[in-house]
Amino acid sequence: MKRLILIALVLILVGISAFAADYYPKYSGKPTTITMWAWTSNENYSIEEFEKVYPNIKVKWENFDVHYEKVQTALSAGSGLPDVLMVEYSFAPQFMDLGAFQPINKWLDEKTFIKLYGEAAMGWCAMDGEIYGTPQDSGAMTMFYRKDLFDQYGLIVPKTKKEFIEQARKFKKAAPHLKYMAAPIGNTMWWIGQVWEAGGKLFDYSNGKWYINFSNPVAVEVFETWGQLFDEGVFDLEMWWNPDWFNSLNEGTTAVVINGSWFAEWLRYNAPESEGKWRVAIPPQWNPAKPNNGMLGGSGFYVTSHSKNPEAAAIFVNWLNSHPASLKCLHNYSNLPIMVSSRYEEVLDEVAGPDAFFGGQNIVETLWEAHQLVNTTFVVLPIMSNVDESLSLLLQDYADGKIKRFADILPRWEKEVISTMKEFGYSNVITGKLP
Amino acid sequence: MMDEMMNNKMNEMMNKKKLNKKTIASIKAYLFLAPFLLVFSTMVIYPIGLGVKLSLYGQRGARMWYIGLQNFATVFRDSKFWESFRIPLFLLTVQVPLMLFIAVLIAFLYEKTEKRGGKFYRFIYYLPNTIPGIVTGIVWSYIFSDSMSPFRTVIDLLGYSGTKILTRQHLPSILLVIILWAFTGYTAFVIYSSLIAIPKAFSEQAQLDGATFWQIAFRIKLPLLRGVLISLFIFNAIGAIQVFNEPWMLGQLVVLPSNYTPAMYIYNSAFAQGRFTYAAAMGLILALITFLISLYVLRSATKQMLTGESH
Repeated sequence: MKRLILIALVLILVGISAFAADYYPKYSGKPTTITMWAWTSNENYSIEEFEKVYPNIKVKWENFDVHYEKVQTALSAGSGLPDVLMVEYSFAPQFMDLGAFQPINKWLDEKTFIKLYGEAAMGWCAMDGEIYGTPQDSGAMTMFYRKDLFDQYGLIVPKTKKEFIEQARKFKKAAPHLKYMAAPIGNTMWWIGQVWEAGGKLFDYSNGKWYINFSNPVAVEVFETWGQLFDEGVFDLEMWWNPDWFNSLNEGTTAVVINGSWFAEWLRYNAPESEGKWRVAIPPQWNPAKPNNGMLGGSGFYVTSHSKNPEAAAIFVNWLNSHPASLKCLHNYSNLPIMVSSRYEEVLDEVAGPDAFFGGQNIVETLWEAHQLVNTTFVVLPIMSNVDESLSLLLQDYADGKIKRFADILPRWEKEVISTMKEFGYSNVITGKLP
Repeated sequence: MMDEMMNNKMNEMMNKKKLNKKTIASIKAYLFLAPFLLVFSTMVIYPIGLGVKLSLYGQRGARMWYIGLQNFATVFRDSKFWESFRIPLFLLTVQVPLMLFIAVLIAFLYEKTEKRGGKFYRFIYYLPNTIPGIVTGIVWSYIFSDSMSPFRTVIDLLGYSGTKILTRQHLPSILLVIILWAFTGYTAFVIYSSLIAIPKAFSEQAQLDGATFWQIAFRIKLPLLRGVLISLFIFNAIGAIQVFNEPWMLGQLVVLPSNYTPAMYIYNSAFAQGRFTYAAAMGLILALITFLISLYVLRSATKQMLTGESH
């Protein structure tokens, strides 16, 4: 009887390892070195783990910080791109469209991809069924709030948008010299994220056509709501990422920031004076019956069209962003709180725990929950910097008083985006509806 | 006959010797110039040539196809390119003359205080020019930030506590302040070096005739500085038309359109949108405009000099 149980156990173990081995094929090529451009800090730990498992593939990592100018130059020159390139999800479609990447379906098919990273990630790493890379970190929107200010003024953590607005009004009355939250001038992904959070989108790509529709009901409702709040004076539009904004976070004049989950690490290193005072929560929901979330930021790792050894590069990007050994290193050494890969769940217990900066809260647990709510996706337009620029200018115009109704920004923005698509030579644009 | 032939041959050899001396001299000259010529041709001439070639192609990603002068036609119709000249025009008509005027005043003051500690002022006014733009950018962003600016108290006292300092309307004036701060000292120094080259006899003569220091400065010395002032104007005009560093740095603090200045538009078209060939065409047109403006200034200034001024 004991023998039978033993044999059964061995068979199960073999079955599991064989199953797991299906994710990561053997490398069939000659010993090689591949190059990678990435700005994730301390990626070398993951690389070391990888080289232990695949001794025939060496990875040379170069860090040029955010390197899009370099990528554009190398792309136009026809040579110079590394084998593996790190690109934020919002810029990846632009580079996909410019031919910067090559498909790796041969070594990572769609079924395995969806099993490892979820279906939503197909919108960030693939186009027309061709998979170009793997997603690394999640930018799931998170509400960061100052517990000390909430306690001081008797505020609760809002679970719905309605509660959020009520709390903001209450705070404004009680502490007019402080801010409940500042909405960013610019930071287009934040505004797209607001629509995403509400379960909607502004554009998408499907079957060779780009779809643009900014006047859909979800988007209009989001912008009308914000317009009301600005008119009331409950919220203000402000530039983020400038000295004034940093100052307000450190000094405690802002109570809430809604940003991507990576912001947890940013706070830790850039607002040390506020240690112990922040907490995280799921962003307030538009419809608590159908919870939803959006993403802001996060990057994928793609195999470029200049790569001479796409097999090695594909094996690397898949292992890097889904194998538990690598995911652990990415959390512990590269300071990424949440990874997109579903296998992150396997190491969740090891990496999650009370976080001193956040007053002992287990933030990884909450952030992982926030990420699971990202259940819709879309492909960003290939002219992201122009989309960003036109919205930023319109927001600035509104802040200067040149536009009266906030919701009027949507049609103007849409008009500029459509004309830019035409200007850049895209004839496959469908307006007025979404797939 | 033999004598004549001998004479001719002697002359030939003598001429050859002369040529040899000349050729040796020129060879020596080119050898000294060689390092510069090498770097100049590879770093300046070759890229310009390549830029001209690139401007004749359409481009998408790594794909390029010949389209002749179509890029230039598109540039002429591109309102974003021509709108970007607003800031350079503002700098050209306001900042450059203002800076030259202030620099001239400061240069005269340098001369006046030559023996009485002028060196100190020459030194500290020159310092802003030596600080890298990135460093000054960071400090300026604090000086103009709304919550931490040292000017905040002054502005509030004057009754403007509601207004923000760094807004798009204020930006041209802020640009003015930054550029004046960075370059006036250097310009004054250049004018000063020309100033001290003017023979003392002129001012001494005028002093004997009863002229004050400032009368001597503006009636006698300033006209003699014409040459250096024209050169400085042209260089600063070129800098104004091609301004990039200061607006770029401010773009981190305020939302700016990608075509705030021509140079920014060219940079963004190339490196943010990957339209390198279009940017090359715009660059050539910008260079042409800069050249034409410099030519115009030079011509009209020299014309004034030649027709003479009747004082």
